[in-house]
Amino acid sequence: MNGAQAMVKCIEAEGITRIFGYPGVAIAPFYDALYDSQQIEHILSRQEQNAGHEASGYARISRKCGVCVTSSGPGATNLITALATAYADSIPIVAITGQVDTNLLGRDVFQEADMRGATKSFVKYSYLVKNADDIPRVMKEAFHIASTGRQGPVLVDIPHDIQMAELKKEFVYPAEVNIRGYKPNLKGNAQQMNKVIAAINEAEKPLLVTGGGVILGNGEDLVRSFCEKFQIPLVHTMMGIGVMPKAHPLYFGMLGNNGKPYANRAVANADLLIIVGARIADRAVPKPENLERSLKVIHIDIDSAEIGKNMGPTLPLVGDVKNIFRSLLEADIDIDTSNWIGQLERIKRDTVDHRKFSNRLVNPMLLIQTLTEKMDDDAIYVADVGQNQLWSADNYVMKHGRFLTTGGMGTMGYSIPAAIGAKISAPNTQVVCVCGDGSFQMTMNELATAAVNHVPIKVLILRNRFLGLVREHQEKNYGRRYSGVQLHNYPHFNCIAAAYSMDYVECNDNDSLPEKIEQFLSWDRGCIMVCNIAEENITV
Amino acid sequence: MKGIFSVLVENKDGVLSAVSGLFARRGYNIDSLAVGETERHDVSSMTIVSTGDQRTIDQIEKQLNKQVDVIKVRRLEEQRSIMLEMMLIRVSYTPTNRASLIEICNVMGAHIVHLSQKSMVIEIHADPETIGDFIELVRSYGILEVQRTGTISMTKV
Repeated sequence: MNGAQAMVKCIEAEGITRIFGYPGVAIAPFYDALYDSQQIEHILSRQEQNAGHEASGYARISRKCGVCVTSSGPGATNLITALATAYADSIPIVAITGQVDTNLLGRDVFQEADMRGATKSFVKYSYLVKNADDIPRVMKEAFHIASTGRQGPVLVDIPHDIQMAELKKEFVYPAEVNIRGYKPNLKGNAQQMNKVIAAINEAEKPLLVTGGGVILGNGEDLVRSFCEKFQIPLVHTMMGIGVMPKAHPLYFGMLGNNGKPYANRAVANADLLIIVGARIADRAVPKPENLERSLKVIHIDIDSAEIGKNMGPTLPLVGDVKNIFRSLLEADIDIDTSNWIGQLERIKRDTVDHRKFSNRLVNPMLLIQTLTEKMDDDAIYVADVGQNQLWSADNYVMKHGRFLTTGGMGTMGYSIPAAIGAKISAPNTQVVCVCGDGSFQMTMNELATAAVNHVPIKVLILRNRFLGLVREHQEKNYGRRYSGVQLHNYPHFNCIAAAYSMDYVECNDNDSLPEKIEQFLSWDRGCIMVCNIAEENITV
Repeated sequence: MKGIFSVLVENKDGVLSAVSGLFARRGYNIDSLAVGETERHDVSSMTIVSTGDQRTIDQIEKQLNKQVDVIKVRRLEEQRSIMLEMMLIRVSYTPTNRASLIEICNVMGAHIVHLSQKSMVIEIHADPETIGDFIELVRSYGILEVQRTGTISMTKV
């Protein structure tokens, strides 16, 4: 058995059935071994970055590790943005990159790139394999590190000659890993837990703040049950969308400068914040130091380094969200929050949205609301980056589906490949990808991947012929000097749809919106809906 | 404040760059960094001295702990630790000031390890503060070159 065959065996042993990638000479032995695999289907992307995003969408829906594969040099460097995106959003991915022969390493030969060096700050861990007999251990460790603790991408860079080399030992995929320096704390310290329970019991106005970590840790149900049992209201970050349906009486919206003003007022009025799986970055809480002074903070996270990084918590609790909330559900907590919930309901009712929307063309807020109300209850919504993302997060009607976006890195073009990965993972679930005409054009080549592999995603494009969010920024902060943001009238989206055998509908007004959305959602084939919106619409 | 970290790491390629890269990426300051193999061939020990506010020092400890190749991080307190470093310093002298320079060396416990016509190489191992003092004491003679090992540290008990 050679190294490449061993790699395929390892991926099979992990139960992986789909991988995303783009071949090249330096990874050719692996692709040759893949040819014989009965278990693994390879999805050929149209660019390596998209393969990474596809693996991300696949991982988020399957709740398992995504796998992507590229060749060396430019193929591998193309992947870096996808790795950085997955790292910022804590998505478990094992990325395999081909590398030049070991005797050529460091000589700057054709298509050589130092991938370990180049990805150092964008991966959870990385390997350069120098011995074929290390492959089983390295692969086992890579999957383990990527998918445990705080999840994230792991890079396995593997030289061409190591893929070709025969293993000297018999192939055994290890049952366990033992890495001295890597033992994620999952349980939650009992003493800290007692302090947390005491703090909740002392609180009059507790507020739960959920982040993406709750979803990554599969903790949605437990966290929601906790809120219900003790009547604790909830707000969330952008990555934390999906813990509680919008219609829930304890739901008080997304916080942050792109969120709901009443969610931010809820934070300002609380006396105890219970932050779960959120890093409290600048877009969620612009000035955390102001909050630190006025209220008590419990910070629950699987990554101890997140706690206190952006905001000084009074009570840190490190562990897995499920373990912690299973204990909290059984804790002796007795609080009466009815006055507090009453206050929040009044705040919510009295908060007026001052944003003005154009009467021209389609209203983007109405669009997202109508779309998400009409979507299947368990549909997957993939938002891209830009104004479309902020309108999506703001107006998405959460029922029982999933909301995927890149809140950490904010990588334009994420939505199409991520939607493809999501749809491949859940072929019977409705998958709607929402993007702008800017972000669409970053990865529209990936529609070929969808067409070839019969992955019928629905792509909704909010078209305003501008890079809308930058334009909005220039309007507010640069005296309307619109520099480099015009997209003009291209492409002809109907032609793009035809080119990839997709159905197509276009909408120019609010009146025909419901009917056209219904049509868009009814198609079985992949389809594109373009909603023309006025460029003067703003997000905040 | 000062943060002194005694860090046990896997002795393999890429670990030093991962640790130093961590400091660079997050804007932490490295005052000194000393690395060497321990009694076990597969484990190296690093002593890292850094300065920053309480939050920064806490973050450094957590971020170090997060590294897969970091086996153990210990934060050392200055008072309860032995801190030593070694310095080689080349100082110029003249016939008239040579005796006073030798006297400084004697008082400070430094050794002259090489003597040439116009300069001498002095070796001193001491705590980092004493080494700083020694540099100031000989500065007026004319310092030609300095090499410091970086601080290594161990708790007293």
